[in-house]
Amino acid sequence: MQHPDEGTIHSWLDGALSADEAARIEAHVQECSQCAVAVAEARGFIAASSRILTALDNAPRGVIPVTAPKKRIDPMVWRVAATVLVVAAGTFVVVRDRGSDEQPTSVTAGRGILLEKRASLPEQAPSAIGQAPSVGDAAAPKAAASKALAIGTARKTVVSDSSSDVASRDSKAIASAGVMMRAGQRAAGPGYAGGPAPTAPTLVAPLGVTGALTMDAARASEPLKVIGTPQRIGVKVTLYEVVPGDTVTLTEQVPPSLTSTVVAGTAAAPIERQASGKSAGASSKAGANPPAMAAARNQKRVDEALSASAPSAALPTAQNSLGNTVNTISWNDSAGNTLTLTGRMSKARLQEIKIRIERERAAAAAKKNP
Amino acid sequence: MTDVERLFRTYNAALVRYLTRRLGDRDWAEEVAQETFVRALRQTSIQNERAWLFAVATNLVRDEARKDMRRRKHLALLAEEERDEMVEPEETTLERAQEAAMARKAIDALAEKDRLALLMREEGLDYNEIAEALQLSPGSVGTTLSRARRRLVESYEALQKSQEEREKNAAS
Repeated sequence: MQHPDEGTIHSWLDGALSADEAARIEAHVQECSQCAVAVAEARGFIAASSRILTALDNAPRGVIPVTAPKKRIDPMVWRVAATVLVVAAGTFVVVRDRGSDEQPTSVTAGRGILLEKRASLPEQAPSAIGQAPSVGDAAAPKAAASKALAIGTARKTVVSDSSSDVASRDSKAIASAGVMMRAGQRAAGPGYAGGPAPTAPTLVAPLGVTGALTMDAARASEPLKVIGTPQRIGVKVTLYEVVPGDTVTLTEQVPPSLTSTVVAGTAAAPIERQASGKSAGASSKAGANPPAMAAARNQKRVDEALSASAPSAALPTAQNSLGNTVNTISWNDSAGNTLTLTGRMSKARLQEIKIRIERERAAAAAKKNP
Repeated sequence: MTDVERLFRTYNAALVRYLTRRLGDRDWAEEVAQETFVRALRQTSIQNERAWLFAVATNLVRDEARKDMRRRKHLALLAEEERDEMVEPEETTLERAQEAAMARKAIDALAEKDRLALLMREEGLDYNEIAEALQLSPGSVGTTLSRARRRLVESYEALQKSQEEREKNAAS
């Protein structure tokens, strides 16, 4: 028998030959060492080509792109971007305010000063909050800062508001602002969400509770009650409620070099807006406010500081419109710290409160170090 | 189960694999395979189903390539652009990617008839079916396959050797 050609060997190995032909080839290959080698080689080619073709199965998809897949951006990137933007906004505010800051000490006013102006608040607070939904898309640092101010102001309005229906309305608005801020933080609110937003929900809740307590007018004879300790760099601020709706602000200056800035009446911003037609944010931008500087240095507290800073610029308008007087008394304690007490009341009354505060502080200190 | 459903269930996997190997893109392969089954719907009777399906799929690829060269070029460009963004199959390593690239080069180096015969044979088509699909004489299929296999392996080994030499040169 002739040696089978390569094609026939492959046909035989592929089982494509008839039974007779296959039997003949098989018999020949058993006798012919040359053909046995050829058969072995053919088996090798068959196996190798199969293996090579298997590598082609690793073909990519997407040569025909129906819709190009969108790159997903890590939420962390948004958070970092938002934080960077807020820091940039704060820095911008600080740099700008430093340039025009000619008042080393701002006028101080207790939050309670303006709590008395409750009648004008219900109309103003919702409008202030109304700006909140646009915070998420704050493109410019200025806008972010001013809107943060609007939110902060509106939020504190709840504390001072004694009208329950307005309070609940405000609470809803605040809740929605909180949701907005959280949504901004989660989604893509690069301007505002990263910094103040995470703090907002935690701040809103306690203040809301405090507001509810404040509205409980039955507790008129309660002793001095700490209703807030707004955070400031360099100073320790304590807000006392003398009687419901009447508060004073105690400021302890920790480093002597820093100016004694005191938290201002939080409801002033809406009033100022009503009087001048300017937004609270605008007043913050225009004024030289040390609290705003402090806010920029501490991003976690930026909304609080900004909201506190607005009334200091707006204060004269507020005072004029209501005809009340803010008095301030200062003294040094035994440790040499300068303390400032501010409130819309006579100095004599402030002196009384000072004595009460010192007594309570002494009692607290005695408790700590018996 | 309709006839087309049965055809699809029986032959789709092999047809898609054949076309993927032929075209180098699974999406395109699936598209052509679907079109093949759509064509099968229009047929009243098919004698040799597998041979018919592979023949129609092969012709579709050929016709499309002929008709739509511009689209293919555009797609190739798109594929190039998308390559960086593409999420490769999880098991893809550099080594596997290199193997795939060499296999693609080796198979592309074959004559069209040899390539198709080999790919069809890998999908289990017998000699008669290959002959029918490619319009060859049954007696020539063995020769075609043996030539295709030898050339594929030799070409692949040559690519492997040059790759190894490049790596050696790069290392030294």
